[in-house]
Amino acid sequence: MSRRWPEHTTVLVVEDDLTTARIIQARLEMEGLKVFVALHGVEGLEILNREAIDLITTDLMMPSMNGFRLVQEIRDLPPPKGRIPILLISSNQNEQDMVRCLAAGADDYMIKPISVQVLMERLWRLFERSRRAG
Amino acid sequence: MALVSGLVLVGAILQVRRDRQNRHRIACYQAWEVQLTDYLFKGGYERGSFGPIPHADRWLFRNFLARYQSTLAGQESEVLRQLYLGLDIHLSLPRRLRSRDPRVRAMAAQEIGAFRLDELTETPPPPVADRPWRWNPGLRIEGYLNLVLPLLDDPVPYVAHVAARTLTHSQDLRFASPVLAWVMREEVYQRERLLRVLEGFGPGLLPWMKDHLESPDQNPEPWILFALLVGSHRHRDSQPRLLWLLEVPHVNLRVSVLKSLIILADPTIYPKVLPFASSPVWEIRTQAARALGVLGGPSAIPALLPLLADRVFEVRRNAAQSLVDLGRAGVSALTWIAEDASADRFARDIARERLEWADERGHL
Repeated sequence: MSRRWPEHTTVLVVEDDLTTARIIQARLEMEGLKVFVALHGVEGLEILNREAIDLITTDLMMPSMNGFRLVQEIRDLPPPKGRIPILLISSNQNEQDMVRCLAAGADDYMIKPISVQVLMERLWRLFERSRRAG
Repeated sequence: MALVSGLVLVGAILQVRRDRQNRHRIACYQAWEVQLTDYLFKGGYERGSFGPIPHADRWLFRNFLARYQSTLAGQESEVLRQLYLGLDIHLSLPRRLRSRDPRVRAMAAQEIGAFRLDELTETPPPPVADRPWRWNPGLRIEGYLNLVLPLLDDPVPYVAHVAARTLTHSQDLRFASPVLAWVMREEVYQRERLLRVLEGFGPGLLPWMKDHLESPDQNPEPWILFALLVGSHRHRDSQPRLLWLLEVPHVNLRVSVLKSLIILADPTIYPKVLPFASSPVWEIRTQAARALGVLGGPSAIPALLPLLADRVFEVRRNAAQSLVDLGRAGVSALTWIAEDASADRFARDIARERLEWADERGHL
């Protein structure tokens, strides 16, 4: 599968589990993407305010601000930041939580353990869709 | 005095030792994290070697791999499995499963599940230089799950729980019967929590239960788990079986069936649930109050209004909540009850309470 990410594409990874964060970061950097890692939602919002971000992956259960609140806060921002595609990653298989997050504005979700290939494919699709939508 | 000094000295030595172990662990993890991402994503795999793991650090490395194994699936997970097998510590699993230390037994059972050491050995691995990218070795080891089985009777509940999880995650229905028996031996309040363990078997468990359980008239308890599993798997094919179970006159079974029917949310079964709103058993009326709102939509309002005056609080609360969840029509009905001075006092109170609750959360 050939993906040609535009130069300077940036991804914000919001994840309190450093193991997952490092894996995702390493794989994304391998594709030439610039990656910012935040350990919780508050830090994620700070980075979002400071940097131009194209894609966001976020964990659901995090200290300070969980993924659900983070999705809500991002969707309350004015465009273009408020429209950045968000992929939710969770170790919690609770369907209700997932439905809440999707209803709050997350674009997609994955449950751990994650396949990195599938993750990359989903991020690419989200990115393509967002680019087409302008 | 000498004794106290001696104890202080021993404590200090133990603390220093523990600190040194922690520092060593952190240093190893930091080094391995870099090595692992290089190995997985930056060509390290093609070079054929992760790097040497000192013999004394093999157990530490196992713990490190297990953390990543719970995060990664797919090809990377298989690569981690190869690294684990390269340590050769799986050879000591039969001995560790019989260890006197429950932590060792639990870790051994967990290892078998996490690194999938449960299938048939097929072929020996080819030389590293001949392996294609992300080579899938097909190396499996048979029989470890049978060694985990006796741990279901372990005197330490945590060990039994880990063993059950390992057996269910194998999705091997040969183990469905002993795991189900283990769940049924647990206290009733624990069983719903243990559904998560049973779910590990995947959707194949439901047909297996249909074929193997005794009739619900003879033994309804396992069918309660069946009913709840149907809800969590959203297995629509099982809805006729749920309706059949609804006929069995067993309170907890009916309650569980109603819970699952709420999740499946098929409006065509509304007429079958309606009679349970007038059940003499309050637990059934409580679930029926939720089910009617979900299944009937606005047409359930006439059936829900009398439940607002039920003598049991849980029934009144569920009926009021169902009305809130119905949106404008349900809220109008609740508002009408809340403002009607001639309405039942219980109905008026619960209507006001739910309207305030919904207002505080912005649901109105």
